Amino acid sequence: MKHPTQATLALHAGGDLGPVARWRTERHIARCERCREEFAAFAEMRDIAADLGEIPEVPWSRLAAEMKANIRLGLAAGECVRTEEKPLRHSIFSGARALVAVASVVALVVTGVVLERPNPVPPSIDGVVVQATKDGIQVRQGVSTLRVLHTGVKDKDVMYSVGAQGSMRARYVDPETGNVTITNVYAE
Amino acid sequence: MLAQDGPLDARNAVKINFPQESPVKFVSATMGASRATARGAALLLDLHMSIELQNTGGSRLHGVVLRVVAQEVAAGGKASVAVPSLNVGPGETFPLRIDLQLMRPNQGAGGPLVTVDLDGVLFQDFSFFGPDLLNSKRLLTVWETEAQRDREHFKRMLAQSGPEGLRREVLASLARQAEQPQLDVRVIRRRTVSAAAAPEKHVAEFAFLKFPGAPVEPVDGWAEIAGGEARAPRIQVRNNSSQTVKYVEMAWLVSDPKGQQYVAASVPAADSDLYLPPGKTAQLLQDSELRFSRSGEPINIQKMTGFVSHVQFADGKVWVPNRQSLEDTALIKVLPPSPEEQRLSDLYRRKGLAALVDELKKY
Repeated sequence: MKHPTQATLALHAGGDLGPVARWRTERHIARCERCREEFAAFAEMRDIAADLGEIPEVPWSRLAAEMKANIRLGLAAGECVRTEEKPLRHSIFSGARALVAVASVVALVVTGVVLERPNPVPPSIDGVVVQATKDGIQVRQGVSTLRVLHTGVKDKDVMYSVGAQGSMRARYVDPETGNVTITNVYAE
Repeated sequence: MLAQDGPLDARNAVKINFPQESPVKFVSATMGASRATARGAALLLDLHMSIELQNTGGSRLHGVVLRVVAQEVAAGGKASVAVPSLNVGPGETFPLRIDLQLMRPNQGAGGPLVTVDLDGVLFQDFSFFGPDLLNSKRLLTVWETEAQRDREHFKRMLAQSGPEGLRREVLASLARQAEQPQLDVRVIRRRTVSAAAAPEKHVAEFAFLKFPGAPVEPVDGWAEIAGGEARAPRIQVRNNSSQTVKYVEMAWLVSDPKGQQYVAASVPAADSDLYLPPGKTAQLLQDSELRFSRSGEPINIQKMTGFVSHVQFADGKVWVPNRQSLEDTALIKVLPPSPEEQRLSDLYRRKGLAALVDELKKY
């Protein structure tokens, strides 16, 4: 039996395969436990990545400014400890030095572009958000988050419900106690 | 402040409050792999607590709600853990797990990070004890009323069609649970959005399902809709019963363009002091926004349906739709099962038909 490649399984987990390839891959993983597990692992990884996207907004501009200030501080400190001025035999922009300088500038520019790149930003939310995550339900405002987990329970075995007043509920049978457990988080 | 980046000291991190006169006593707690970790300017608390409680009352205990309050989380940082469908005799103990994560700024004051309080406990005779800050009395009463309804249904199946009839009914329930379509819903309160980003909205009316004999009926209602978002639902209801009503909750269903129906949310009475005498009308309204999606894609809301899911009268008694009404309106295929139906079907799945029959005989 020929197994799909890792790349094919990863693309399938993301729903990015064409119809024929998708059909062939689905048919294979229905019969092959190993590939099924790998596919599940890729799918789980996508969930985790989605969660990472929910990390509270990071002040990139401030971080970049701090990095630049630290570089300047380092340069200034270097000036202070320099014992004597060595005459330059050649232009400072020649040979290996020039290469290092250009590489540093490029690195700085690339870092700046990466940090400040115009990501698609969802509409800004200024309020309390109540939502389900892959392992629980949470209430979040700014960086403060309270998440109630349903540890050890498969997501398909959890029933979620929402109160329009700003609450969320997760209901499941606790595998350890056998009791139905209902967790709630409240926006207010 | 607590020592950070290490195992939690249960005595300092978590405070458990049970009133002195409580008919449920706190016996013990274990903290397992709980940790507090400093992450930059934030503190991450990972709490995995297993607690043991004891019924010290004189009646069988049928449900309990614990309130969990996290210090300094915005908007109160309030949560609860409820266990309905219990059947704990006087003197018996029972376990309850609390697993939570808390992330908060690291400049907190001293004191416990999390406080766990008893909010309410319900007994077999519907007597209640507790401060009831989270409306636990109503919730536990609704769950217990539904539990009695569904246990009676399964017992009737057993009496009429024998063990095989009961098996068919439980298998049908498990199939419905497996096929139940679920929406991803985010609820946002006090939301502000730039005018450029605000999607175009329109007002959509609710269609209503009405049950014969329901004490309260919906009259009209609407909500603002914009693609996969719905805002500010408003529903007018009339009390058709002869008793004063103090709480009404509507269930809200939405349909996608393919006609697939989903449970979107419940719309409770906004006024906690609702007073609805016989023959009078009142409006249920909530000023929140709900975003609906499925598999990461927003769903386009085509239709909204509402029905009365439960009513509480001034004397504390509750009304819930009966099984026949749910089956006649096909709502049984869309609505999640009651906690008791979920527990009984799970018992069948794990331990088989004989265990289920034995369980039903206990009531």
